[in-house]
Amino acid sequence: MIAKMKSFSINPYNAWLGFLLVLILGGITAGIFVFIRGLVITNLTDLTPWGLWIALDLSSIALSAGAFSLCAGVYLLGLKQFKTLARTAAFIGLTGYGMAMLFLLLDIGRPDRFYNGFIFWNKHSVLWEVIMCIGLYFMVLTMENLPNLARWRWLQDRFPKLVGWMSQTHDNAPYLAVAGLVLSILHQSSLGATYGVLISRPIWYRPGLAGLFFVSAIAGGIAMTLMVAVIVGIIRPGLQIEEKTISQVARFLGWALVVYLYLRFWDLFAMTYTIQPGRAEGFDLLTRGTLSFNLWYGEILFGILIPAIILLKGSYRQNKLVFLAALMMVVGGLIAYRWDTNMVGQMVVQSPLSVVILPRYTHYTPSLVEVISSAGIIAFGLFTITFGIRHLHLMEQMPFANNRIN
Amino acid sequence: MNRREFLKLTLALFGSFAGHKLFGKLNFAEARASAKYSGQKWGMVIDQNKCNGCGFCVKACQANNDVNPEMAWNKVYSSTKVGGKEIFTPVSCQHCEHAPCVSVCPVGASYCRDDGIVMMDYERCIGCRYCLLACPYGARSFNWDTFSGPNPTIPEWGEPDVERRSRGVVEKCTFCFQRIDRGLAEGLTPGIDEAATPACVNACPVNARVFGDLNDPDSPVSKTLKNSPAFRLLESLGTGPRVYYLPPQPVGKDNNT
Repeated sequence: MIAKMKSFSINPYNAWLGFLLVLILGGITAGIFVFIRGLVITNLTDLTPWGLWIALDLSSIALSAGAFSLCAGVYLLGLKQFKTLARTAAFIGLTGYGMAMLFLLLDIGRPDRFYNGFIFWNKHSVLWEVIMCIGLYFMVLTMENLPNLARWRWLQDRFPKLVGWMSQTHDNAPYLAVAGLVLSILHQSSLGATYGVLISRPIWYRPGLAGLFFVSAIAGGIAMTLMVAVIVGIIRPGLQIEEKTISQVARFLGWALVVYLYLRFWDLFAMTYTIQPGRAEGFDLLTRGTLSFNLWYGEILFGILIPAIILLKGSYRQNKLVFLAALMMVVGGLIAYRWDTNMVGQMVVQSPLSVVILPRYTHYTPSLVEVISSAGIIAFGLFTITFGIRHLHLMEQMPFANNRIN
Repeated sequence: MNRREFLKLTLALFGSFAGHKLFGKLNFAEARASAKYSGQKWGMVIDQNKCNGCGFCVKACQANNDVNPEMAWNKVYSSTKVGGKEIFTPVSCQHCEHAPCVSVCPVGASYCRDDGIVMMDYERCIGCRYCLLACPYGARSFNWDTFSGPNPTIPEWGEPDVERRSRGVVEKCTFCFQRIDRGLAEGLTPGIDEAATPACVNACPVNARVFGDLNDPDSPVSKTLKNSPAFRLLESLGTGPRVYYLPPQPVGKDNNT
């Protein structure tokens, strides 16, 4: 221990880990505080019961969508050149779903009953389907990541037999890719439907949300994976993914954004020209309320349009920093979309008193505990991804054999 | 671990899950078949001509169901003015025929009894609060905090005969199911005998609330609905509420909505 302490030095990597550790410790403290005191210390109310945690939970699930889409590309469409990227995406996926579960654990009122969704089945509930899919897909992701974890030298030194078995599970990759594809298509869209089926909130009640969540998740998930790959490539130039592969994926992402943009406008017109009572009125309130900047300039311009142009134009993409900025905009745009979707239906609440639905405006700002605990969970995710890049050598080409590395 | 062992482990895992589920199902049947059912659908009528907004029903509800004073199963809104007179709309759970809260609950903690009462299984609720978003009437409240202090409405407004709910679950009006069930067991008629009737109905000083079996043509609710035009809240959503309102007269005469 002492010897280890002596070899400690302040370099950017250690500073980064230290920074994350502080946030994680803060998050753990805030989380314990929430479990002891209950949800009364959040700013959530009966009118706005789903807040920051749910928005970030949805975001981390959507940003994990690179796992199923890239794995399907590699193992089902045979696009072998994306293998390194798919491996990274699968690990980001495992991290993202882990984060999502932590967010949910904080958010539900009875965390001691978290397993009830698996025991008591209400097959009519979209949320039940989402719970089942997330649970099963987490298992699929764990199995998909066994060969990745087998690349950890610490494990190789101690449990060589286990590591050998873990690397062999790579043979199942195509089957896991099919399972992942099925489960992901189900729950990525159902997360949108979770809001879309609520007749009580006219601003949510529309079938388009399911499709929008699915398409935006594919764009966001791939952008997240590319973003990690590009950042790692900048920090450690030895770990760059082939230029050709990157630009292929970037072009796909650009076109996915174009499809997503088209669907968003279709959704906008469907919202505006409607006979659904309360929707047009509610929408009118939203474009003047606190979310209005987010909704249009933030999401459409910075989250979709500008990055789509950068990603589709080869000469813009050449500049690594511009490219990275575009990817970050897609990721940020996705988080903004999840936050906005979660908030709109809660901010525009109909009154039950009138025959005609009259919207009214509610307010919600996350409390300090919510922010600190969320920062802790995000830091945990970044810590895990850093660990994966550093110790599981996700971005390096390596044989999947039983023999040790080095 | 070889393939055989792995398969065994997987099977054991799934087996235990299936067993747990079956066990849960059995429990489910036992807990929810407790009410003696003989074809009733409980419903309520609230006369907006009579309601003066005194809030007695709110207090009686709070005492009889031991509700946290920071929450309310039963709210009285001042909605509009008709002919210079203030009109009140008391809103509690509407016990919808097609209750949105029941279909969205991921664990089936919200459920409909045979007699139409929408109930909560407080032992099963995970506190996800999806039903809060799904309910168009804002009839549900979440236990954000533990309710440990004394209830200020007890004993003046009644004595509770239900358990206090734990922190982290959602609760709502139950049409005082405990009074109905006990009354039926004693051979009383809910809606006519006070001991078998919801506390809010008994507490109303102006008799603005009427309770009874909607399937029985001779029940107080059916008779009231036969004689006067009535409306339900947000009827266009198709939830089929079982709480009816008699509109204030000047409106009621030329508009049957």
